[in-house]
Amino acid sequence: MQTPSEDKQQGKAAEWSSRSVGSNWQHQFFYLAIKMGGRRLAYLLLYFVVGYYVLFSRLARERASHYLQRRFPLATGMQKLWHCYRLILSFGKVLIDRAVVGIMGPESFAVCLDGREELLKLRDENNGMILMAAHVGCWQVAMSALDFLQRPVHMLMRHEDGDIDRHYYEHAGIERPYQVIDPTGYLGGTLEMLGALKQGQIVSVMGDRLLGSDRSTVAVDFLGEQAYLPFSAYKIASATGAPVVVFFTDKDGPASYRLQLAKVIRVPELSGRSEETFRPFAAEFSAALEGYCQEHPYQFFNFFNMWLKQQPIIEE
Amino acid sequence: MDTKEKLKQVLIEELNLEDMTQDEIDNDDALFGEGLGLDSLDAVELVVVVQKHFGVEIKDMEEGRPALQSISSLAAFIEEKQKGCTRKSPSPFSVASLERE
Repeated sequence: MQTPSEDKQQGKAAEWSSRSVGSNWQHQFFYLAIKMGGRRLAYLLLYFVVGYYVLFSRLARERASHYLQRRFPLATGMQKLWHCYRLILSFGKVLIDRAVVGIMGPESFAVCLDGREELLKLRDENNGMILMAAHVGCWQVAMSALDFLQRPVHMLMRHEDGDIDRHYYEHAGIERPYQVIDPTGYLGGTLEMLGALKQGQIVSVMGDRLLGSDRSTVAVDFLGEQAYLPFSAYKIASATGAPVVVFFTDKDGPASYRLQLAKVIRVPELSGRSEETFRPFAAEFSAALEGYCQEHPYQFFNFFNMWLKQQPIIEE
Repeated sequence: MDTKEKLKQVLIEELNLEDMTQDEIDNDDALFGEGLGLDSLDAVELVVVVQKHFGVEIKDMEEGRPALQSISSLAAFIEEKQKGCTRKSPSPFSVASLERE
């Protein structure tokens, strides 16, 4: 059953876009601050900018509320604002860190990887590997820390025209460390993903949001309500024998990140495409993600309403 | 049964097109989007089905894109691959190599 606020949100579904809330000059302002005073100066400015957004941007509050109202269901009035402030502040810090890595070099941050040996073992199975991340922490950190696998990495992602926050490699002017598979391309990029996995390569996908023309979702419990997660990756895993490696990153210090292998999901050979077939695997992912949210309540940056059955069409 | 008819039969059975008959599927209908109305998830199943029933692997996008246009193009791809496999058995060079060993 939907709440009145959800009904209202459903009406707005088609308007949803992942484009940056801030304007271009605001991003440039922060890049300049990083160049002049490093990460600390940028953080200092961020406290005020986030305060402004939380107080005066309804859009920012609304986007944060999908998650926060489920993660902190008992929060009232000022508590809600405080949670919103902390969440957006953490997100801002991640965006700054991403720029710092590009502008000042990767040595600006320490990255600790848990699960290196297991990842190497999975790689050596030669069935390819589906790295399933989520919009938590800073997934770009993970991508920059996977060199040791010595396999090409393909990332299913879409850089929207309105996205003005740059990736760390764009700041650094270096070659992108992964190849992009466009989910709006031919057959949603599935053939490219299959091809890469068959060659023992790595495909990275987001397990918590639909991309491109994919409309295959399955309802699973997430933070006490039914959320709709994509299941195409599990179908691909079933077809190729590739393990689904769930990994999350978290910012565990002012200048450090932790990359953690949270779970390995094995999908046996399964025929058909019903959501029921793949629900158990999506539920495994959801449980891992919920565990992450309990541990790191302010590092979940999926501002998309994943509890909405009618999935929004992302603006072209 | 020729490859096209077998392909249609397999698609109906494996991709849950039970409301269609083989006669209703035109050889030149687009498999995806308009036409048969298959989607990206069906594409994964289709790759698996072709390997399972015809022993032919669609390895990548370069091969897959032209092959997965219609029943005709997919059947032609399968037949070509199957012929290729037959042709591969011992070439004069490999026979000579074996003899040397």
